[in-house]
Amino acid sequence: MTIKHLMSGLAFAGALFMSVDGMAANWLMLQGTEPSASVGRAKLWGFVQFQYQLDASDPNENGQTYIPPKMIGPNLTSQDAFNVNRARIGVRGTGFPLDPNVNYFVLAELGNNGITAANDGGTLITDASITLNHIKGARIRAGLFKAPMAEEGLQAIHVFDYINFTTVSNQLMLERFPNNRDSSNAGGLTLTEAATGGFNQFDKPVGAFRDVGVQVFDAFRLEQAWELSYAVMVGNGNGLNFSDTDNEKDVYAYVSLENLYGGGGPRRQGLKIFAWSQTGKRLLDKTGDGVYSPAYYDRERMGFGVKYLRKPFRATMEYMAGKGMIFVGPDKPTFDQNGAKPNADGSDGEASGWYVEGGYYVGNKWQFDLRYDVYNRLEGDPGANGNSFESEWKTVTLGVNYHFNKKTRLTLNIASRDVGSPEWDAGAGPNANMDGIAERYALQLTHIF
Amino acid sequence: MKLFSTVSASIFLSILLICFSLSTQAGEFAEKKVVLQISDADPSKQTLVLNVANNLLRAYGPDRVSVEIVAFGPGLRLLFNENSNKSRIKGLADNGVEFTACSNTRKKMSKLLGKPVVLNPVAKSDSPGVVRIANLVTDQGYILVKP
Repeated sequence: MTIKHLMSGLAFAGALFMSVDGMAANWLMLQGTEPSASVGRAKLWGFVQFQYQLDASDPNENGQTYIPPKMIGPNLTSQDAFNVNRARIGVRGTGFPLDPNVNYFVLAELGNNGITAANDGGTLITDASITLNHIKGARIRAGLFKAPMAEEGLQAIHVFDYINFTTVSNQLMLERFPNNRDSSNAGGLTLTEAATGGFNQFDKPVGAFRDVGVQVFDAFRLEQAWELSYAVMVGNGNGLNFSDTDNEKDVYAYVSLENLYGGGGPRRQGLKIFAWSQTGKRLLDKTGDGVYSPAYYDRERMGFGVKYLRKPFRATMEYMAGKGMIFVGPDKPTFDQNGAKPNADGSDGEASGWYVEGGYYVGNKWQFDLRYDVYNRLEGDPGANGNSFESEWKTVTLGVNYHFNKKTRLTLNIASRDVGSPEWDAGAGPNANMDGIAERYALQLTHIF
Repeated sequence: MKLFSTVSASIFLSILLICFSLSTQAGEFAEKKVVLQISDADPSKQTLVLNVANNLLRAYGPDRVSVEIVAFGPGLRLLFNENSNKSRIKGLADNGVEFTACSNTRKKMSKLLGKPVVLNPVAKSDSPGVVRIANLVTDQGYILVKP
């Protein structure tokens, strides 16, 4: 398929597009719409994920303290743990079945993860949206829902091929929100200190790749085997929190073009290219003077990628970059670290990363996966003493999925991590914390109902 | 000569009329005749009734089975023009399956919606659904199946 053919196809689509009717297998449509005139008032659904994780990292240089990349989240209290990391129940459908133009989606989280840990557990609404399908080519979704962005964030988590996100998705895209106060990092903690909750000082849930706002979107079938999708969204830029705390709005844009091979639902087969962007601002007080005096910082993200699925093979590649509000550590309720182990200021920082992954399916039962992801955090940071605080995070993840049936699977991941600040000696600067980050083993059981 | 032409034309026209009549009553010569009812709100029944129709065509062949799907009550949504099964319905219609939408349900739904219900173009809607089923079963020897 040449560029000329692609442009001709797009031009043809502009003159003769046909809006795809619901349930096309892309995440915008799967999560935002229902099959037209063939959905009930309320379809109850959900999923549960139970996991065990073991982190084999060595303690910090003093042999006694640890930092969060060496601890199991979200509680960050030990290096191995069982957890019900997700337990979601929701309902979706159409309140007035005679009118196929309106549908809704509501989902709540009862598991233990970054969404609920900030509130010491409990239940939190993760999705609550209404979609209006009246305008051909411009469906409107309003409420709390997944913003159109990076593939790992946009896709449904219960069909995610791996247990943990790539580092770039986890750190660059899974947003942590500053507390309305500043507190500095105290460096590593002993296991006993960590066990008393010393690391978790955030008082808001993670953004969970979601926002509260309004999105215009749709998917168009070009000729027979091509689908063009787009989405534009304006949101509060405050994740799962039902308020706008900074008087600024985030703007999201997304576009994808897919060559369809067949199938349907979350496992539809095809070759998809996609691109997205997000721009916004955040309020942050990093003065550390005990007086709340925040300032605005940009938060810009962008990415593009390609995903291929034609059984028995799957392959994905995505590149992402960001400027501003770069998260520099899960134990930091701010983005500026002061203390014995400086790790620089991410509020005006830059970062980028990418991943490539592949999968091989053997029948309907077995699936073998391999992923390599790279994250460069605080690129071009001036650092201290002539050494940049930039760090590199490289991870190779081996994975196996065994599918008991189409709703139940067991996933094993072994992640080998290589993390460090290249301009600092071993044990110096950020490496005092990062040295010793090693393999992580994870086993997860997923059941969808 | 003129009389011969007139008689010939009349015979020819009569043959044409008989053929036409036969073609509209092809169902009467089908080996099997099945009317499928859909009247449920459960959306999975829409898929099920279409699957059953397809299975009948595959088992007997389109020329040897006459299938009609009658939709009434909440099941009428299957024959909405926007229904996501529209392409499947067209495929079945192209293979001889007939679709009837209950006229009473259509009127009631239009009143509830506040605007006329737009049906799939393959559906006819000139009688109440249960009346159509009764006529097919008692007068034309159809078997009623409600998946």
